[in-house]
Amino acid sequence: MTTLLTPPTESPTPNPTPPVKKPRRVGRWVLFGAMIVVAIVMLYPFWVMIITSLKSESQFLSGGGFSWLSWSSLTSVIPIGQEVLSSTIVCSASILIILCVGLPAGFAFAKLRFRMSTVVFLVIVSAMMVPLQAILMPEFVNVTRLHLTGGYLGAIIVYASLGTPFSVFLFTTYFRGVPDELIEAGIVDGLGYFGALWRLVLPIAVPAIATVTVLQFIQIWDDLLVGLLFIQNTSERPITVGLAVLAAGRTTSIPQLMAGSLISALPAMLVYLGFQRYLVKGLTMGIDR
Amino acid sequence: MTLKRRRQLAGVVFALPAIALVVCFIGIPIGQAIYYSFTEWNGLTSTWIGPSTWTQAFHNTNLWTALRNNGLLLLSVPFALGLPLCIAVLLHQRVAGWRIFRSIYFLPTAISWVVLGLVAERFFAYQGTLNSIIHAIGFSHTSTNMLGYESEALIALGITFVFTMIGTNTMLFLTGLATLDPSLEEAARIDGAGRWRIFRSITLPHLSRFIQLAFVMTVIALFSALFSLIFVMTGGGPGYATTTMEFLIYETGFNQGDFGTAALYGLILFVITGIVGVVQLRLIGSNE
Repeated sequence: MTTLLTPPTESPTPNPTPPVKKPRRVGRWVLFGAMIVVAIVMLYPFWVMIITSLKSESQFLSGGGFSWLSWSSLTSVIPIGQEVLSSTIVCSASILIILCVGLPAGFAFAKLRFRMSTVVFLVIVSAMMVPLQAILMPEFVNVTRLHLTGGYLGAIIVYASLGTPFSVFLFTTYFRGVPDELIEAGIVDGLGYFGALWRLVLPIAVPAIATVTVLQFIQIWDDLLVGLLFIQNTSERPITVGLAVLAAGRTTSIPQLMAGSLISALPAMLVYLGFQRYLVKGLTMGIDR
Repeated sequence: MTLKRRRQLAGVVFALPAIALVVCFIGIPIGQAIYYSFTEWNGLTSTWIGPSTWTQAFHNTNLWTALRNNGLLLLSVPFALGLPLCIAVLLHQRVAGWRIFRSIYFLPTAISWVVLGLVAERFFAYQGTLNSIIHAIGFSHTSTNMLGYESEALIALGITFVFTMIGTNTMLFLTGLATLDPSLEEAARIDGAGRWRIFRSITLPHLSRFIQLAFVMTVIALFSALFSLIFVMTGGGPGYATTTMEFLIYETGFNQGDFGTAALYGLILFVITGIVGVVQLRLIGSNE
């Protein structure tokens, strides 16, 4: 009879076999312990970066000690400022194009259907599946022939094209959920299609814009291949490329590489922590509803 | 009537920039890759050779090594799905502080695979963390140098790959678990079902779509996202021990200057990911 008095969430069963309270509490502690272990594993990269960057080259080799030397001499080895600036320029320009191109297209595919629009949409979406490596050689030669590999333009245009299919897909899915009447009304009100796009569609689409921006930012900021091949001037390298090239060269001191890694990881981590929910939304787009 | 025409026209105009970008920088290069795969090409001049380029390529041992490496790496996929599934179930128990744990688990997702590769290189290195652990648990005379040996480097790469996929896949499974109706589990528990039985008969079937999606995403990443890891960890070596298809394309094109063969390898990769991609489109499509 006592079981009836306990709240249902705590002991849902009249079944006597599992003694209710004690094992459950033990279970909770085991669970908590397991989560701590996983947390340690997932935090390991950060721990390595921080600890290693706080050693000088000789301290790193001998094992012990602590020094700010790797940090204070960092800029003489890795042009951090320039590289972060490059990453920022490439990222923002690419994302701007991806948004400017993807949003109207998504709106068109969802609300302004034209002849063959479904086929065209499917073709664009399937381009999401084409890895850059599959078309790397022609792409590289084309962009070089267009004389775009000198500055940032080549990388920007490649990132923009690779990101466009996803953003078209995301915007189309998003606008399909917006009622037709809302847009019809605006157009009848004399806004015109460009007016409706600017004054009606854009404000509605803010969550989708945020999702595309966050996902593409992390993708482009973290990418190596495009920056490595499509930006020819070493002085214009993005930070990820700069780190990878130094690491592959095997001549740079590891503590300094780790300090640089930490700096490169910071912006993406901050964006991620700030906009976590948009990331999840974009990732599971099309499957959770 | 005219309103309909105007709307269609507006649709075409709005869609055109996206279409142009995708056609010029993804569509046309696919066509070019097909053409150049039949030529001898150094990036400047190309000479038509014909289908014999393909038979020649398939006699190249490097291609088979790369395909074998990709095949062997597929063995890591069950781990890249299984571990995140366990972690997601752990998080779903909503232990005190689970939100903080969730943020911690997903944090590496934001970091570049270049950086994760650098850290992994330190982990597996002769004077790295792995050997410290081995010595700490008592095997003071045993040392590993996994990245230095042909037989072990690929395993190290596979382990790193599993680690890099944990965040994304856990995120997917956790979203799946959140859509699970808790009253179903509750009902099963009242009917006397044990935890394992509930997991197998209710949770797992419910997650099947998410598991399929995670599987496809993991396999695609395996074929097209390892470049950064390989570039910083092994450079494809020792020998060709960690050269996968995508790295072979880069290596053949930019280190050997053989653009034609690299374009051909690209097409093979295109076909492989295409097959996986069709599966994914069907998964997304079946839901609409």
